[in-house]
Amino acid sequence: MSAEEEENAAELKIPDEFLKAKCLMNCEVSLILEHKYEQLQQMADDPMNQMSQVFEKSLQYVKRFSRYKNPDAVRQVREILSRYQLAEFELCVLGNLCPETVEEAIAMVPSIKVHSLSRLQLFMFLRGKGNEPPDFITRGRAHDDEAIEKMLNDLSLIKKFE
Amino acid sequence: MFFHMVLERNMQLHPRHFGRDLRDKLVTKLMKDVEGTCRLLNCDSTLMFFFNFLGIDVIEREDSTIHLLCVYCTCYLCYYGSGHHGFVVAITGIDNVGKGLIRDGTGFVTFPVKYQCVVFRPFKGEILEAVVTMVNKMGFFAEAGPVQVFVSNHLIPDDMEFQAGDIPNYTTYDGSVKIQKESEVRLKIIGTRVDATEIFCIGTIKDDFLGVISDPGANS
Repeated sequence: MSAEEEENAAELKIPDEFLKAKCLMNCEVSLILEHKYEQLQQMADDPMNQMSQVFEKSLQYVKRFSRYKNPDAVRQVREILSRYQLAEFELCVLGNLCPETVEEAIAMVPSIKVHSLSRLQLFMFLRGKGNEPPDFITRGRAHDDEAIEKMLNDLSLIKKFE
Repeated sequence: MFFHMVLERNMQLHPRHFGRDLRDKLVTKLMKDVEGTCRLLNCDSTLMFFFNFLGIDVIEREDSTIHLLCVYCTCYLCYYGSGHHGFVVAITGIDNVGKGLIRDGTGFVTFPVKYQCVVFRPFKGEILEAVVTMVNKMGFFAEAGPVQVFVSNHLIPDDMEFQAGDIPNYTTYDGSVKIQKESEVRLKIIGTRVDATEIFCIGTIKDDFLGVISDPGANS
């Protein structure tokens, strides 16, 4: 399908239904799947039989790769990341990988840079300053870098106090 | 990446299940049919052919035998193409069960069911963490949830070499970084292939900030 050839998560080019759907971080999925596993254990005598291999593998995966175990911490992470104007997908990738530096964050989610830049370009266009000298751009970028840095600091604080 | 979505499915139920527990039986059947699968489309089968029975033709052949030929026509080809949803990991709830429609000629009843579920769908360009399951000289296989990813040796940094032996691995020249079975790696998906029943990906660890993840115990 040609649609799949254009697909590129780095540029947030994913099918509409996924862009609009609720994206889940590994720690959130872990809470959901563990709850379901407990339900299965209560209902049936042999929960292992009821579980599909996909469920079992996913449960092991999210348990292993959850950065935050505490449900309150998980909620805080989502709340903090929601303050920055990120797409659901970008939010979850950052919550899953927990980059430590701004550089790393941009490498993990290249689209946050593009977003910032295009918002900046839009702003410049609306203000009618299409021929703005280059140092405005670098100043604008530094501001976005600061925002990203603050976001990463907030994330690491949750980890510390978890 | 995991998503929480609302999907729809037409469930067929034999009349023997009708009664008090109809809804429960529907839900059980839904869970059995859908959980753990990786479906291309949102319906009972990949392509639905509706056959209309037109009648029986009587044919007399030269050797005087009479043959009955059942004549069908393909009513229409039903292709619910909405893209690939990925693996349905778990159903979290039922939104709505619509009114049942009796299918002509069979007595089965079709119920449209809207349900919420957690799905896993990898995307090209997505960066995620995975566990190495097998290493050989062509590269290594890793698992990210229900999906398998293959990283070819061409997409492993040049400073890492394959070491055969009891525990095959890829190691840097100075021995500081090692990729072997059960290692956790961060990789980028560069292609996905979708089968009827599973999704297979190829990935790379050659870019910045990719590769072996340091021991989680050491970080916190």
